[in-house]
Amino acid sequence: MRGAANIASARRSLGGREALAQVASEPIVGTGLGPEGAAGEPSAQVVGRSPWQLFWRRFRQDKFAFAGIIFIVLMVGLAVAAPLIARLVGHGPNQLFLYETTDEFGLPKGPHAAFFFGSDTAGRDLFVRVVYGARTSLIVAFFATGISVVIGVIMGLLAGYYRGKIDTFVSRIIDIVMSLPILLLALGLVAACGASKVGCLGGALKPGLLLVSYVIALFNWPYIARIVRGQVLSLREKEFVESARAQGSGDLRIMFREVLPNVVAPIIVYSTLIIPNNILFEAALSFLGIGVPINVPSWGKMLSDAGQGIFVVAWWMMVFPGLFLFITTLAFNLVGDGLRDALDPRTGR
Amino acid sequence: MRRYTKLLALVSVLGIIATACAQGGPEGTQTGDQNLQPGGTLELNLLGDVSAAFDPQKEYYSVTWEFYRCCLLRTLMSYRGTPTEEGGTEIVPDLAADQPTVSDDGLTWTFTLKDGLNFGPPFEDVPITAADFARALRREADPEGSSGGYNFYYSVIEGFDEYAAGDADDISGVTAVDDKTLEVKLTREAGDFGYRMAMHATAPIPPSPTDPEAPLGAATGHDKDYGRFLVASGPYMFEGSENLDFTAAPKQQDPVSGYEPGKSITFVRNPSWSADTDENRPAYVDRIEFSIGGTEEDNANQVDQGILDMQFDGVAPPQQVRQYQQDPNLSDQIFINPSDAVRYLSFNIAQPPFDDINVRKAVNFAIDKEGMRRIRGGPLVGEIANHIMVDSLQNNELKDYNPYPSPNNQGDIEAAKAAMKESKYDTNGDGVCDDPVCQDVLAVTDEADPYPDQAALISSNLEPLGITLDIKSFERTTMYDKCNDIGAHTAFCLAPGWGKDYADGTTFGEPLFGSGAIGPDACCNYALVGAAAEDLAKAEYPTTDVPNVDDALTACDETPAGDDRVSCWAAVDKDLMENVVPWVPYLFDNYVRTVSERVQNYTFDQFAGLPALEKVALSGGGA
Repeated sequence: MRGAANIASARRSLGGREALAQVASEPIVGTGLGPEGAAGEPSAQVVGRSPWQLFWRRFRQDKFAFAGIIFIVLMVGLAVAAPLIARLVGHGPNQLFLYETTDEFGLPKGPHAAFFFGSDTAGRDLFVRVVYGARTSLIVAFFATGISVVIGVIMGLLAGYYRGKIDTFVSRIIDIVMSLPILLLALGLVAACGASKVGCLGGALKPGLLLVSYVIALFNWPYIARIVRGQVLSLREKEFVESARAQGSGDLRIMFREVLPNVVAPIIVYSTLIIPNNILFEAALSFLGIGVPINVPSWGKMLSDAGQGIFVVAWWMMVFPGLFLFITTLAFNLVGDGLRDALDPRTGR
Repeated sequence: MRRYTKLLALVSVLGIIATACAQGGPEGTQTGDQNLQPGGTLELNLLGDVSAAFDPQKEYYSVTWEFYRCCLLRTLMSYRGTPTEEGGTEIVPDLAADQPTVSDDGLTWTFTLKDGLNFGPPFEDVPITAADFARALRREADPEGSSGGYNFYYSVIEGFDEYAAGDADDISGVTAVDDKTLEVKLTREAGDFGYRMAMHATAPIPPSPTDPEAPLGAATGHDKDYGRFLVASGPYMFEGSENLDFTAAPKQQDPVSGYEPGKSITFVRNPSWSADTDENRPAYVDRIEFSIGGTEEDNANQVDQGILDMQFDGVAPPQQVRQYQQDPNLSDQIFINPSDAVRYLSFNIAQPPFDDINVRKAVNFAIDKEGMRRIRGGPLVGEIANHIMVDSLQNNELKDYNPYPSPNNQGDIEAAKAAMKESKYDTNGDGVCDDPVCQDVLAVTDEADPYPDQAALISSNLEPLGITLDIKSFERTTMYDKCNDIGAHTAFCLAPGWGKDYADGTTFGEPLFGSGAIGPDACCNYALVGAAAEDLAKAEYPTTDVPNVDDALTACDETPAGDDRVSCWAAVDKDLMENVVPWVPYLFDNYVRTVSERVQNYTFDQFAGLPALEKVALSGGGA
């Protein structure tokens, strides 16, 4: 995924449409090195294709990645439609149906017509909670990833472009953050800031979904920053940067208009790959009991509820949230892999 | 008063009766059973270590109380180690030869010791005498010796507070008349004083071999760690007690090997103890071993496999209860006993919106108590509570009393709304709180099961009243700290439980509702009943005027034992429920435990609310 030449081509498509014509004639982007599909067409003449077309052709042929995309779209749809689904089913995520769904020992009953996934120990509809759990997971994952990407890109650009002291400074911060015991610190932070209504840092960090997202983002941006920095270090020596500089472009313009578009591909790939990590991280925090607030359904928390030995008699409490968590992270990973392969023709399959 | 650490009990009185009928009463002591053989090692686990490292003047925890009663320490008066219906809450002479004699004015109590009593190793040759009890009471008065304990029970003794304050050389009201006679003078009548002499802070402390005049005897120099140098008087002692050397300087002494804090506890037989002087403790097994740490799930599995002999400070999880209840082969290995504890939700009556009694009444109507019980394990976990003190303390006087009735105890939202209408926080009179103080009301609960589920139920019960909760969940000790701290402004405490110290209403009085029991320095009046105006102002509460019941508590305390005393406490209970409304009590719960196949003669000790270990025998003597 670090193919600088390929990145350069991507840059052109994003940087300016006028570059299209050049793309086709540039040998590296040519069909010869691409995956089988592009190369397999017995075409006498060279067809001009934009990098996006090439990317799409490659990506489309990766069936796993494609299935992943479909599943993610479904999951997002489910998450968005959660309130609608709850209304259709007739059960809210925090509504208790103790007398209908638990037996005289207070143990939950399994899946049946009205409760597709059964119920949990509080008599709540597990299906509706799993759907709402998708919301929590996706919101936290996307939000945390978004923050990581913004911070990581800015830090990486600064470090790679300016080099020298700034690079040293940023790189040491990255080293420090990456050497922190993530889970322990996250536990401490979320516990400390979630303990009171006010939150911490004078109310800047309030308990809730956002707090969890911030904490996760705090530990993820260095990975992005490192990749961006590495790319920028080599890109800043390229001719197009020199020519931009010769034209009198300022640092900011060069960084964001010339260099940044060329690192978009690895950023996309890497973001896609840290989304599942973030989903798992949120689940882990919730599993440990300090993630999202108590009334917000979360897959991790559901798994933790099931983990008290109760799954022996109520398998559905473990299986459904676990299955959704598993498939969702798998889907993001497959898509991430697919994106990487499609965006970087040098990684053979 | 002891807080309950792990109550997740699972079967009701109905359950008890049902099982009792079906199985010929596994709950009772199977006394007269000639097949019980002594011997063997009882294997047990403690989920958490004891709270004060076995220091008898400091331990205010039911588990340690049971260890003292069953095994380590004898007191002048004690309990039979049986359930209530077998007299388990009555005090009987233990080291004393008979019931105490009380002077006509009720102020002088005289105890006479049995003959032939000696301390355990290393003091096998030292007889237990009246002076040993004076040493214990001195240590109880000493603020260093009894920190975290329950010395308030003894300030009724003449000169106790003066000695505690360092203003006297000795407690003037405690006199060892001779070796066998202890005389205690009180400053006022206390009908329950006999119970107080059955608590282990009064267990005899031997004299120091190097300084027979030392006021604290062998405990001298062990302010912080006497528990690990404990000299036994009961049928068992810590392993390695014989190696204690009290002739060395306290710092040079090595503690017993039978207690490694946080790891393990081992009791072995005390060679000084004789069954001839002790009719309550058959002491079948030779050795009792505890590992410390683990989970209820682990314990349940290990009981299943016979690795552990029973649950001790934990209870059987619901899935195990269901299995043992439904499998006829296992149904004689499950035991259900009332814990004599109440579970409740505590309002902070100074914190809006609960500073308005009508809101508190509305919540009492709204809570689905049957649902709370269902979450804890269904109709078998205990009896729905509609008042504060457990029925067994009140001769069932308030058994049918229910000031906030609802159909099937599932909550009555219409009645709740009617109460809410009277509140100042419902300005338009629609029965729904419309004041911002009802939004995000700070509620604190235990993070462990089943409290999060219960919190979800409580939230949904209060929603129709316009009250939304901001629920924070903590590890149990932290949860209690947050509830107990007047400055924390916790409005609603969702997970407390309270068990009796002994079978008298006073143990549900002062510590829970007395103005002297308000934290953080005292415990456990989370509701802030009777809080002083200046303290409320200092903690920035909007109100400085809360109800106070101190006078009523004192009046009952001074009532002599008997029906009048019981009725007095029942009246306080009703007054609290109707005119103060500090709580939503919801359950008088039961303990449910499973035992391994080899356990015989399981007996429940109602005093501590735990299995009476000295009565357990192992099949075939553990062979």
